Amino acid sequence: MNIRPFDIGMDEMYQALLLFWIPVAVVPLGIWVFLSFANHKEKNIGKFLAFVGFTMVCLSPWTVPSSPSSAAGHLLGAIVGPIVLILIGLYLISFSGNVPVGRLPKSDRKLGVFMNLVGFIWLVGMHWWILTPQLSKGDVNPYWYVFWPTLLLFIASLSSFSAIALLTIGVDRKKEANSIFMLSGLSFLLLFLGLNVDGPLITAELFREHLWLSVADLAGLLVGSLLSILVFAIVIFVYERNLPPPQTISPPTKDELEKVADIVSNHLGGEQE
Amino acid sequence: MIEKKLVFTWRLMILAFILPLLLILAIDISISSGIQGFDSEMAFTRFANATLTAYTLCSLVLLGNLFFYGESRNRPLAPLVGMFCATILGILATIFFIDQGPMLLEDNGSVRAQAIYNIVHMLVSAGAVLVALGVSLGVTFSAITSQKQRSDFLFEEE
Repeated sequence: MNIRPFDIGMDEMYQALLLFWIPVAVVPLGIWVFLSFANHKEKNIGKFLAFVGFTMVCLSPWTVPSSPSSAAGHLLGAIVGPIVLILIGLYLISFSGNVPVGRLPKSDRKLGVFMNLVGFIWLVGMHWWILTPQLSKGDVNPYWYVFWPTLLLFIASLSSFSAIALLTIGVDRKKEANSIFMLSGLSFLLLFLGLNVDGPLITAELFREHLWLSVADLAGLLVGSLLSILVFAIVIFVYERNLPPPQTISPPTKDELEKVADIVSNHLGGEQE
Repeated sequence: MIEKKLVFTWRLMILAFILPLLLILAIDISISSGIQGFDSEMAFTRFANATLTAYTLCSLVLLGNLFFYGESRNRPLAPLVGMFCATILGILATIFFIDQGPMLLEDNGSVRAQAIYNIVHMLVSAGAVLVALGVSLGVTFSAITSQKQRSDFLFEEE
């Protein structure tokens, strides 16, 4: 994809802030508004905000070409097709099966499988065919090297985890666990192929280097998030511990006890109702 | 027939999670007698940057969460200030460590460029993690719903 920038005659920093960072922030804000409010009007505003933010991030390689961060917008635009196909395909497969509510027609299952296949082949074609996200001819989007190994590794790990969870927690779920193991095996196979077979633009050596970096990334993500959760827990704990104990109230008087006894005796039995 | 059942333990679950990575390492080590393409210095730099960025971004999200926690308690300031300080500490630590020189500075020329790169990098990694989570959950759910309906209750004849 060749990128030809728009020239809007604005300072590069403000351009990046206005056309990339604010839209990036608007996407989660829109999702939050959509999920938090019950009112239809506010829900629609949330949907609109998320859509506008998302579109502007995807357009950022054209609107803010000077910012290196816009490569992330370029990647988002490149992967949104296969990812949406896979996720909608999974939705169709899941809800055309044995679900008690919201069941879809059986024919949707075939459509779901087809969408999954197309999405999967599309993603694989980004590594081993001509579909690799490129900022200019031969210049592979640097964030593709982050996204692809992380995705494969995490799918392999999570599927292995959920298959074992299904075997240990579920009852007679061997068949289902085997299907999930297949997904784990497929991701593992792709990782293994990536480490040994060159693509037209991505060599096995480069993929290998980025795979280890993505492991470091995931470890850092885990440690950093756990640390912040720990600090959060400590802040809450310290605050709750420093709160004064709740005020004790005086015991009930004789009159109050008699009144309670009356009410209780009036509600015992139930044979009159 | 009574089927032998695996027992749930966290050790087993963690092992299941890291199994693909361990397998790749094992194959790589046995084929090429070492981990090829692994640069410990670069990996450390990435790990440290990811840790600092994840801490700061996650603290920011939790700070927002704390604001709503306070809503049910007459909005006390103390925990908000505490979490705000923790977030600022993360930002300052990131700036300080990146400023130390090539240790955390990747291919970027300045602290600001590296910090912005870290955030975008984290967003891409987190996006990949979310997509992977969606795919794994979706496949698990579709595998369960694809099977024939079964009854979990056996009615005994009276």
